Amino acid sequence: MTSVSPTPTRKYDLSFARWVYENIDGGDRMAMCMQCGTCSGSCALNTQMDYGPRKLFMMIRAGMKDEVLTSNTIWNCVSCYNCVVRCPRKVPVAYILHDLATVAVREGYAQARTEETTKFAKAFIWSARTFGRTDERLVSVLFYFSEGISAGFKKLMAFKGIAFNFVKVGRLHIGLPHMIKKRGELKSIMAKAAEIEARHGGASGEK
Amino acid sequence: MVAPAGRSETMTRKYTFYPGCASQGTGAHLETSLRAVLPKIGVEFQDVGDWNCCGASIGHVQGGHLPTAALSARNLSHAAEAGPQDVVTHCPACYLNTHYVNETIRGNESFKKDMNEALQAGGRSYDGALHVRHFCEVLVNDIGMDAVKANVTKPLKGLKVAGYVGCQTLRPFAGTERGGQYDTYEQPKFLDAFIEVTGAEPIRDFKFKTSCCGGAVSAISPQKTLGLIEGILKDATEKGADAICTPCALCQTNVEIYQDMVNQKFGTNYKIPVVFYTQLWALSFGMDPKKDAAMHQCLTPTDKIVAAAK
Amino acid sequence: MSAAKSTGVYLCSGCGIGEAVTMGELEKVVTKEFKKPVKSHACLCGDEGLAVIKADIEAGTVNQVVVGACSPRTMTDRFRFPATQVLRSNLREQVAWSHPAGDEDTRMMAEDNLRMSLTEAAKSTLPEPKIDGEYSSVVMVVGGGTAGLTAAHEAAQAGHEVLLVERAAKLGGNAANWSKRMPHRPPYRAIQGNDIDTLIATVTADSRVKVKTGCTVAKTSGMPGKFAVEFSDGSGATVGAIVVATGWRPYDPTKLGHLGYGVSPDVVTNVQMEGMLSGGKVARKSDGKAPGVVAFVQCAGSRDPDHLPYCSSVCCGVSIKQALQLREADPKVMTYIIYEELRTPGVAEEFYRAAQEAGVIFMKGKVKSVDKALTVVVDDALLQQEVPLAGVDLVVLATGMVPNSTNIDAPTPELDEEKLRVLHNDVNPLSPIKVAGYAGEAPAPLPAPPDTLPEGAPILNLQYRQGPHLPMLADGFADSHYICFPYETRRTGIYTCGPVRRPMDMGETAEDATGAVMKAIQAIRNAGQGVALHPRAGDLSYPMINLNQCTKCRRCTVECPFGAIDENEASYPQVNETRCRRCGTCMGACPVRTISFANYSVDMLGSMIKAVNIPDEFDEKPRILILACENDAYPALDMAGISRQQYSAFVRIIPVRCLGSVSLLLISDALSVGFDGVMLMGCKPGDDYQCHFVKGSGISRERLSKVGETLKSMQLESARVTQVEASIADSARLPKLIDAFVAELDGFGPNPFKGF
Repeated sequence: MTSVSPTPTRKYDLSFARWVYENIDGGDRMAMCMQCGTCSGSCALNTQMDYGPRKLFMMIRAGMKDEVLTSNTIWNCVSCYNCVVRCPRKVPVAYILHDLATVAVREGYAQARTEETTKFAKAFIWSARTFGRTDERLVSVLFYFSEGISAGFKKLMAFKGIAFNFVKVGRLHIGLPHMIKKRGELKSIMAKAAEIEARHGGASGEK
Repeated sequence: MVAPAGRSETMTRKYTFYPGCASQGTGAHLETSLRAVLPKIGVEFQDVGDWNCCGASIGHVQGGHLPTAALSARNLSHAAEAGPQDVVTHCPACYLNTHYVNETIRGNESFKKDMNEALQAGGRSYDGALHVRHFCEVLVNDIGMDAVKANVTKPLKGLKVAGYVGCQTLRPFAGTERGGQYDTYEQPKFLDAFIEVTGAEPIRDFKFKTSCCGGAVSAISPQKTLGLIEGILKDATEKGADAICTPCALCQTNVEIYQDMVNQKFGTNYKIPVVFYTQLWALSFGMDPKKDAAMHQCLTPTDKIVAAAK
Repeated sequence: MSAAKSTGVYLCSGCGIGEAVTMGELEKVVTKEFKKPVKSHACLCGDEGLAVIKADIEAGTVNQVVVGACSPRTMTDRFRFPATQVLRSNLREQVAWSHPAGDEDTRMMAEDNLRMSLTEAAKSTLPEPKIDGEYSSVVMVVGGGTAGLTAAHEAAQAGHEVLLVERAAKLGGNAANWSKRMPHRPPYRAIQGNDIDTLIATVTADSRVKVKTGCTVAKTSGMPGKFAVEFSDGSGATVGAIVVATGWRPYDPTKLGHLGYGVSPDVVTNVQMEGMLSGGKVARKSDGKAPGVVAFVQCAGSRDPDHLPYCSSVCCGVSIKQALQLREADPKVMTYIIYEELRTPGVAEEFYRAAQEAGVIFMKGKVKSVDKALTVVVDDALLQQEVPLAGVDLVVLATGMVPNSTNIDAPTPELDEEKLRVLHNDVNPLSPIKVAGYAGEAPAPLPAPPDTLPEGAPILNLQYRQGPHLPMLADGFADSHYICFPYETRRTGIYTCGPVRRPMDMGETAEDATGAVMKAIQAIRNAGQGVALHPRAGDLSYPMINLNQCTKCRRCTVECPFGAIDENEASYPQVNETRCRRCGTCMGACPVRTISFANYSVDMLGSMIKAVNIPDEFDEKPRILILACENDAYPALDMAGISRQQYSAFVRIIPVRCLGSVSLLLISDALSVGFDGVMLMGCKPGDDYQCHFVKGSGISRERLSKVGETLKSMQLESARVTQVEASIADSARLPKLIDAFVAELDGFGPNPFKGF
């Protein structure tokens, strides 16, 4: 098992598909996909996607790794899990998309993307790691300024009405971020988990 | 584990509670109203000690799979300290992550081993002995609507309410054995029952009960998801809803705060209150609209709902 | 019946009949108009009611019974008495239950039904079977593969002697070349062993089975119970029934150059692959190496207008099986199945899933080409782009099955022009048998054959008037009644099974062979008793031809759907009774009414038509004759009554054996006595026919196309006569059709012949 997914040299080279089957959470069920399209038909945001999940899975089989990992499909999953409960072959579609997003980040495919989700995710996990809790305020500000100062102010302004209202009714607090007590404990656990994951070559260990 | 048995009103059931980050922010009014009604329906919560964020549906992207799962594993190890009773959470994302990690630890030895190795780095461990449940499932399977109805002193007569369940409260676990098998994925009925018990009239043919509000994507790029929110508002309005009621904090926020943006984009004029079922319960129990039901924390006018409690 | 006919009439007033009509008035019709004794009872089918009839029969006062009660399709066991002809007048389903009680028109309808039944009684006698000498009980099975061996085994198990004829030197057919089988037992996921050797051993060890290998049939004549067969080795045999199980051969792959066959030695067919698998070594012909990447090309020469237009249904399963076999032998082997539509019906879906789980890769798309370097170019339907699949070591073409409905190793026989025409009519069901008008001219020449004669010698070389081949439906497969009687050919006593009938796998073939043997045994047993096979099972009548009146026009011999009538040296028709299915198509064809059955004739039907009271034109009570097929249309009308649907009481319904038995003379009879219109109700004709006698309703439609001229000469509108398709499920539709036809006729005004 390699830490980086293999890049196929020709169409229907299964090296990437096999890697996905073996390394992605739920990937083993992906071989059972019969291309019925129930997932794409059930997808809340498939209108925003380069390819629906059905086609994305077919592209994985066809060895189209670059197209798969640079597609916006994996960033537009809203995690509604309709695809998961409706798949007649019990393929955990959303879980696979989530893990593909992780792979895209790890292997550098997401850097080229301007997808807002990646930046939000960065801000989000920063908050979780640093404070142990999500501070919606800090996450948002961090996210808004992820594209630069001026873009950040523009976005901040668009949301300022909402933010103001939140503060007014007490749904966004003023003051120090919420945080857990044993931040050191959490940090050690997460660092160890990352180390284990790296040891497994990027796999989750769920095999 | 609490055995679902008789629904005696005098009996108090104890659960370990995982509040989740939204309880301290945009979902504060859920937290307030939930805590207010609990003693009335015979439920006692003991919070998970020093709980942390679950990673939501976005953490894994930058955080990696195992580190994100470790967030939930740490919570579970703290929950185990509170005792063997079931762990309950109300936030769908918290439920999804915590339940999933718990079940994976129970069903996958190598994952359990990796996870405990990580926990060990913080001096902790977890063996998978707990059962993680969503509070809506607990209400259906353990508590029952009779225990709720017994407290209703000011029924919300004449109020029409669209029950909007959303996604993760049901999917993908509501139909599974460990998920409690408490409702169907496509035509859920539990929320209508939660509404009906207050004396309000649930809109049973509301078509968008289980459609998506855009989740985290709405928070990030609302332009992508305004269409989804518009569908929910449109059907509820057309069917004469005075309010939309949901169990999910993110659904509540998304459907509520983006009404202005929806109106701007689609040329509509929606201004419909979005509330939690716990707020409706608190009102119908005759409790204080502000202190207990936290109605003032809604961003659209709720006067009609408050006035309905008589 | 040798004794003089003495008819007793028994009326039932139960089930609402007594409320719908006054029994006394009905009795008057019997006593006043027909001078017959009549008795009424409140529950005729009860023990008490039956006792009334039995007493008269036992006293010898009655030997023919007319029962005016429920439909002739019900209570048949109750109203059955030894050596007594029973006729039924339908007063319940088609009168009391489908028309308003107490109404004048309802009464007139009941009276007319009784008149028709009493006329039928006067014009018919109890048929006696024709039994002529010895009948053989040997089942001959042609073909010794899965189908033939199963048929031989099943027939022997049922106690019959079997003659098993196989063209090849040894038994086993295609199955002998097969490595393993697709799953045919639960859980339908794993490949199963080929058990053909066990079957061969069982059959050859059975003393009741006589096996002739390296032998073909040279000639077959005779009829069920008395088939005289001559073999290629000069020997002969008399057999009772024949099961044709000649199976299939693979489609000729040399026609598949575009898929690389013949271009590269490493492009093989699925049959060749099977040979390698059963030989234990799968290797490329080019270098003898074991292939690491194998691509299966589905529909190679199938579902393709330039090759086989049909789906052979088994190739998908075979490729899945072979791919699994390759991966089981070496898990590193990559297998691609490239399909347009994967056809894994029913439980075969489990097999498909098992293959997906085992890592067989399925690609949906059409293969455009395979070149010498084995690059398979796929028009991928799911990616919506053309994909060159490179690095393949071996390409397997999943070719389809061609039915062995002829022996292609033997020369095609020379046939005279008329035989060729008949043959092509059989091959092409879209051109129904052309029939002549009934006004007296000779049969019109048949259209030129659209196809060439199937290559090779006929399997049985039948010495029949209608040619040596078994009738074929489409694409060379043997014709059979797909919906109702799948093993039936149109040559009575001869049954096809297995892939010669339609493409099927070994499991299906074994089931098919068992079914065909059951029919063969029925044919043998019925032949010996002079009894008809279904759908008129148990009928003892048979066509009797008055040769004194015969004009040798040959319509009966041409139109018989079952080839039952030959011509003798003097060109007179000669009936082979046990081939006959009693549909009466010959009777409908005969322009001089010289063919009749003891209980069914043109005279009888014509007299029944004339027995109806036709009110005069000022009464505004039109009369419409319905001739309804007894197999589907008549029971559908009964069901309309059962569900209490109402329709016009102006119709008079006569059941007929098949629309093929309706002579056009009956239609002119009806119009000339004053019926305002005639409606024929029968089964769907054409290549997807539902006619129980295969061609009867098609022939009727053809005949009817000639009736317009006759109507014109009578100064009548051609729309007064119509034929409608009716299936057994049409009980809700037929009342609407009837009412619409009655309304349409109303527009024409009364038939001017009324009162003539």
